[in-house]
Amino acid sequence: MSDGGRLSEGNCGDHDNFGRSIAQIAVAQVCESLGFDGSKQSALDSFSEILIRYVSDLGKVSKFYANLSGRTESNLFDIVEGLVDLGFLKGKVRGRNPRVSEVVKEIGWYVRSVEEVPFKQSVPSFPVPVKRSTVPSFENIQETPPGKHILSWLPAFPDPHTYVHTPVWNVRKTDPRTDKVEQARQRRKAERSLLSLQQRLSNWVPHGPQQNRLSSSRLLQNGEIDENMSENGIGSKEVNSENQVLVLEAFAPAIDAAKNGFFDSVDGERNDVFLNKRPAIHFKSNFGRKLLKEPLELSLQKKGVGEITPWYGRDDNNDKKRRAEQILKESMENHEELAQL
Amino acid sequence: MNQNQQVNEGSRGRQDDDAALSEFLASLMDYTPTIPDELVEHYIAKSGFQCPDVRLIRLVAVATQKFISEVASDALQHCKARQSAVIKDKRDKQQKDKRLVLTMEDLSKALHEKFHSPAMIGAQSPHAMVDFGENDAIGDRNERLDVKGW
Repeated sequence: MSDGGRLSEGNCGDHDNFGRSIAQIAVAQVCESLGFDGSKQSALDSFSEILIRYVSDLGKVSKFYANLSGRTESNLFDIVEGLVDLGFLKGKVRGRNPRVSEVVKEIGWYVRSVEEVPFKQSVPSFPVPVKRSTVPSFENIQETPPGKHILSWLPAFPDPHTYVHTPVWNVRKTDPRTDKVEQARQRRKAERSLLSLQQRLSNWVPHGPQQNRLSSSRLLQNGEIDENMSENGIGSKEVNSENQVLVLEAFAPAIDAAKNGFFDSVDGERNDVFLNKRPAIHFKSNFGRKLLKEPLELSLQKKGVGEITPWYGRDDNNDKKRRAEQILKESMENHEELAQL
Repeated sequence: MNQNQQVNEGSRGRQDDDAALSEFLASLMDYTPTIPDELVEHYIAKSGFQCPDVRLIRLVAVATQKFISEVASDALQHCKARQSAVIKDKRDKQQKDKRLVLTMEDLSKALHEKFHSPAMIGAQSPHAMVDFGENDAIGDRNERLDVKGW
């Protein structure tokens, strides 16, 4: 009953669009076979609605008759009775018992008279059932339910971690340390490879002092080589007329530092070492200064102090500092002397 | 003896009937109705009709198709009648509109005839009235359809 009512409402017909459109096509086909050339849309809509309602009503009535006879499944006789109720035998003799034969006659006549007009398209069976993912039961998971009062076909309990706050152990305690060690190792590897590259390049440098200078200047201009190691500058300069021995000498402190791996503490020592080397550098090349205007970053020093000072300037600063200290000391001594006085 | 004979005849009659019925149903399966089986199956399942037999679904489909074609043919009659009436008025245009178009007017007239004919009213059984809605017989329902302005 409510179905019929709902069908009459035009508002909530959205969920039934598929069935309705199929009914429209069927109705249109019947009309066309009878001789209609066209149809108004409103007429088609209402006609398809009538078709749907007729089918539903027929189903309802036959169900009713089946239930009346104490059955749940309808059979031929129920349908026949339903048809009679819906006016199938209009105008014919009614009230006779063998209604079935009448109906059968009618339908038989119709089937024979009308030519077969099958539905134009193949219709899939609808409505398509929606598959819903269900919670698995104890049987599905193959767990034994806790407690005998819980049957195995009931849905399983959720995992304990979803409702119990269990402590989370941080497994990675030593990882940062190992990471740092790894990083340092990789850095050293990179530096070693750079050193070897430098050595190879120095071997490759052609003979002759001026040419060497040019080549070394080219090497200096190549930013890649300068980048990580200031020793590159030293090394390339050393190559001027000398050989790999000087290169190795120049790199010896760096290599030692790299091997030791203690960048911070070695800083002072390295500075001293470099200071020792400095006079040679100054003597060798003036053009080096121009080229070395950019401050060279020492990757070795980066991790440590992090202060970047240009090579050529450092000397002066240190001298100034020493002088300042000396002056202070002297002044202190003077003060004391004065005080004493 | 007479009774036995009658019973025998009756049983034979019933057997014939059964045979006729099964034959009829078999013939039904040969005919493919315009209304697809899936559509019919869906709507009668919706209304509570439970039947595993495909032939009965075909029967419903054929019966519905018969009903629809009857209504449509009545509407066609109306349409043609209107056209001929129009032609009578205006003799200039011999054939005003060759095209036969199904309109709401013709449809509602055809339905009115079908459900309001005196022969029809007698066929209503009280069961039908109970099932079909708050009030009424089928005729009332159709009136409601008209009132809504289809």
